Amino acid sequence: MSKIQVEICMGTTCFIMGSESLQELASILQRKHPDKVDTKGVVCHGLCNTDCQYSKAPYVKVDGEVISEATVEKVLTVINEKLGEEAGNLK
Amino acid sequence: MFIDINCTQEKKYNQNAFGDYFVSKRRPGRLIAVLSDGLGSGIKANILSTMTATMLLRFIEAQRDIKAACEIILNSLPVCQVRQISYSTFSALDCTDDGDVKIVEEGNPQFIWMKKNGEVMEPECKIINSKTFSNRHMKTYHIHLELGDRLIFCSDGVTQAGLGGDNLKLGLRRKGLIDVIRNKLKHQSDISSRELSKYIVEYAKYIDNKNAKDDISACVVHFAKLRKLCVFTGPPYHSEKDSEYAKMFAEFDGKKAICGGTTANLISRELNREIISESPFNTGKLPACSSMEGVNLITEGILTLSLTYEYLKDEESIDEINAATRLMNLLLDNDYILFMVGAQLNQAHYDPNLPIEIEIRKNVIKKLKKVLEEKYTKRVEIQYM
Repeated sequence: MSKIQVEICMGTTCFIMGSESLQELASILQRKHPDKVDTKGVVCHGLCNTDCQYSKAPYVKVDGEVISEATVEKVLTVINEKLGEEAGNLK
Repeated sequence: MFIDINCTQEKKYNQNAFGDYFVSKRRPGRLIAVLSDGLGSGIKANILSTMTATMLLRFIEAQRDIKAACEIILNSLPVCQVRQISYSTFSALDCTDDGDVKIVEEGNPQFIWMKKNGEVMEPECKIINSKTFSNRHMKTYHIHLELGDRLIFCSDGVTQAGLGGDNLKLGLRRKGLIDVIRNKLKHQSDISSRELSKYIVEYAKYIDNKNAKDDISACVVHFAKLRKLCVFTGPPYHSEKDSEYAKMFAEFDGKKAICGGTTANLISRELNREIISESPFNTGKLPACSSMEGVNLITEGILTLSLTYEYLKDEESIDEINAATRLMNLLLDNDYILFMVGAQLNQAHYDPNLPIEIEIRKNVIKKLKKVLEEKYTKRVEIQYM
């Protein structure tokens, strides 16, 4: 099973809109699912700029799927769903 | 070739002001610097040394002749009523880009001229006596530096460090200082002036049992090969020129930094080089850094640049290691800095919903240029794209 890839945007907009507190997410995930989830920062997804009028920073990508206005809870929910799915697949 | 100059200072223990004062100024093709040690310590010494050094610097700048400028000061410096000695001592330096150096000393410990291999040169000096004070004289030197040569100036806080202690009854003295520098150069022959001056001051403080007994200053001048840094920040206004500018950046002969996520992606795309993110943990107040083949540092853009400016302006020692301190160290360890500044705006930064105001890139870079030039005597150029 390949690890779930979590990419936290570290661009300016995302950072001040809250990805600073998403650093916490990184440590939670490392503690909870050290061998199932890989968390890293990425320089900028470039999402804030494409839809700037309705910017929903901060953005996090989980396996390529964009989560806008990301919070720790929101991302954890998505990851738990995914893990559940994969656990289901194994059965 | 380039003159890398830096001075590190430490206050006397329990004092709240520096008693030594260092000031330097870069003019086209010329560098002037003065280190002055005020009598006593604390505020009084601070005022005396500040006055002497700033006046002398202006005199030298205006007169174009260091000897004449120093003579004026020599003949006019007041004498302390109680101790019958000069209010302040000084070392002054006037140096051209091709290594022609004139030095004048009054009362400070004799400077050290060290070659690349650690050999110490003892140049001849001319002594000029004061016309108004019989016990006062200054030494003048005229020397020619070669690539790799270093000049070390210090206040007596360095040469007398450890005085009266168990190991060094007479203090470190000039001879001891030479050994300390030689040893350091043996392990780190290309050490920057900033690091070497810091090392000397730390060493002097250490042998004073960590509480400086006098004001300590060390100024290092290194006649070095020009160290160059290019900072690429912001996407070019015309995106069709991206590849052209990326190529220029790649071909820059020196160290390289990228500030900005979008910019990093642009360079990565144009040069076909992968961005490797560092761990997003414990990055302090700023987003984490990344790296790329051939690039020394990649940081987030405007927040990092703004904080770097604050750090440079306040000049306080910062313990935290974050993107801004790393960028600051990179800036300070280079002599020539080229900022390649893209004029494209990120609309998202002007969203009124953002909790803080984001500065305009151009303005931050202009402020950085000013502080780097005026406070750190760097040569800075900005290229707008």
